[in-house]
Amino acid sequence: MTRTVPLLLVIDDDAVIRESLARELSLAGYETLTAADGEEGKELFARHSPDLVITDLAMPRADGMAVIAAVRRGEQGAAHDRSERTPVIVLSVRGEEEDKVRALDLGADDYVTKPFSLRELLARVRSQLRRSGRAGAPDVLRFPSLEIDRARHTVTEGERDVRLTPTEFAILELLASHAGKPVTLRQIIATVWKGAPATTQDTVRVHVGSLRRKLEPDPSDPRYIGTEPWVGYRFLAEPV
Amino acid sequence: MVWLAGPAAVALLTLFARQVGANATAAGVLYLVLVLAMTGWGGWPAGVMASIAATVCLDVFFIPPFGTLDIADPGDVAALASFLAASFVAARLVVRSRRQAEEADVRRREVEILYELCFGLFTAGQRPGVLGEAAARTLSTLGARAGVLVLAPEAGGAQEEPHVIGEGQPPLDPAALERVRDLRSVLETVEMAEMTETAGGERVVYIPLLVGGLFDGVLVARGAAASRKVLESAGRLLALAVERERLLTASAHLAAVRASDALKTSLLRAVSHDLRTPLTAMQLTLEGLRRHLAGIPEAAAGLRDLAREQERLTRRIDNLLALARLEAGVARPHPEDLPAGALFRSARESLPLVLADRPVEVRVARGCPDLWVDPSLALEILVNLLENAARAAPPGALLELIAGPDPDAPGQVRLEVLDRGPGVPAAVKSGLGLQIAAGLTAANGGTLVLLDRPGGGTIARLTLPAAPYA
Repeated sequence: MTRTVPLLLVIDDDAVIRESLARELSLAGYETLTAADGEEGKELFARHSPDLVITDLAMPRADGMAVIAAVRRGEQGAAHDRSERTPVIVLSVRGEEEDKVRALDLGADDYVTKPFSLRELLARVRSQLRRSGRAGAPDVLRFPSLEIDRARHTVTEGERDVRLTPTEFAILELLASHAGKPVTLRQIIATVWKGAPATTQDTVRVHVGSLRRKLEPDPSDPRYIGTEPWVGYRFLAEPV
Repeated sequence: MVWLAGPAAVALLTLFARQVGANATAAGVLYLVLVLAMTGWGGWPAGVMASIAATVCLDVFFIPPFGTLDIADPGDVAALASFLAASFVAARLVVRSRRQAEEADVRRREVEILYELCFGLFTAGQRPGVLGEAAARTLSTLGARAGVLVLAPEAGGAQEEPHVIGEGQPPLDPAALERVRDLRSVLETVEMAEMTETAGGERVVYIPLLVGGLFDGVLVARGAAASRKVLESAGRLLALAVERERLLTASAHLAAVRASDALKTSLLRAVSHDLRTPLTAMQLTLEGLRRHLAGIPEAAAGLRDLAREQERLTRRIDNLLALARLEAGVARPHPEDLPAGALFRSARESLPLVLADRPVEVRVARGCPDLWVDPSLALEILVNLLENAARAAPPGALLELIAGPDPDAPGQVRLEVLDRGPGVPAAVKSGLGLQIAAGLTAANGGTLVLLDRPGGGTIARLTLPAAPYA
């Protein structure tokens, strides 16, 4: 990317939200493009290749799902052109959690729930831009007071060595290498269990429960592995 | 008439045989044919009479000495006896085969009746529908003049009047109805025909409507000609029609419920979207303004109040929409494992302005199991309780959040919100938030009680299910 200032594409059919988001994001130091519906959003995406997309879900003419699908499809077609995938943040609404999960499984990277605070959205934008700039996860994942060595399969929390089963380690590795990003239960099953048919969401919960008890200094108030209602889990610590 | 026909025919045949000069053997064959014919025509009586007359005539006119009943040759006695026996046996066989043919005919007619009924009840039109119509069809097929259909309460006849069909309603004898219900078989009574000279009366049958051991009601028919077996089968068919009607009604009802659920869902979605979009716009604008006007104290104070009110409005709308969804039955709680400490933290983070200048102490017992609740509903409950406590307690006074395994109920987690406010009565009066919390708690499979706190204040005690795996 030759741009010095990241370019964000904001897609929402509500004019006030669209404009105030664009204004606040520019004030925060980003360049912005706005689209009033999914069709326009897809056009702008194809023409300008923004660094990040923020999209509403329910919109006239092509909804947010169509935008996500188009963004991911475009990447497959022009893989040589882009070295990394464009992060997509979804603006979801409470009570429509299924849509949120569907969007994440379709390829969205994160979400905020309306009404959201600007601070929250900016934090998500920063986290996603940081992630997309990184080339692959390193062999040792380092967080404040937590170190995960992927090659040697060791975990150190504070001063103590944390002994994990292979499954627990695989879950931790998956979540930590996507730090700051929600990971759906389906994604966990697909990666850790390779989609084994007998694996249920309860299986995942049981393993996450024991992982928390071993890893977290206070399992009742997790510092590393947060629960994302309806979705799955999110690794809370920021990489060093 | 039938009795005389045999001898008369025998006399005519005798005249004919003598005319053509037949011998005893030929005459015997002719008589035998005649006996068979007479039996076929007039049944057993005609056959017997013809046999006897033929034997006498054979003896008198064809066996010597002629003109008397005497028999010269003993061999002829045997021949005559054989003739009599043969004609009897032959008559007997004819009678039996005739009866079998008649029975077969009756069966055929019965099958036809039931087939016609079956066809009428289940294939004619999309919906034989109205049960009265089905009953009328049954009655007319059975040859009855009139009748009454009484449905059992469980078949949907509780408030319904009996269906009366045709003129001359047969009497409904409650005792007879009871007996049919208990015995589950056809009951016949005879109704004395009033004002008529004919002796006896008219047949009234009580036909139970049974299907798969279920008793659907009774069809009372007057003047039905059909046999008991047909009546019973007809009762079963009508019972099937009743069941079918009931299922059709139930499925129509179900379809209506489904349609209304879909409507409720889309309506709630639309309302939710329309309420939250302006709130989001307000929130974004407010945040921008607060940043731009941070240097102007008067503006900052006003904006802070505005932000607090906006926050409150958002929470109320969330509350009401959550309750509406639960009450409409379009959203079931979606339980997940949730650590109590994480819930407390989210609740505090949801009330940044309300809790801005108030100390909050959180204590989660070691080994406290995770909750098994819908996380967003649980958060809403706790936010409501926390907000209530903050409103009740004096400014700056400590609020406490405590979690631990429920000492009274295994498999439950106890969460408490403690304040130093004026105590339960005032807390209850402050209303809506608490009601909403109670409603959402029940939906999550928990309980909520308010207790007076020793030393002043209120304890809001929430009991919620623990996650099934430790």
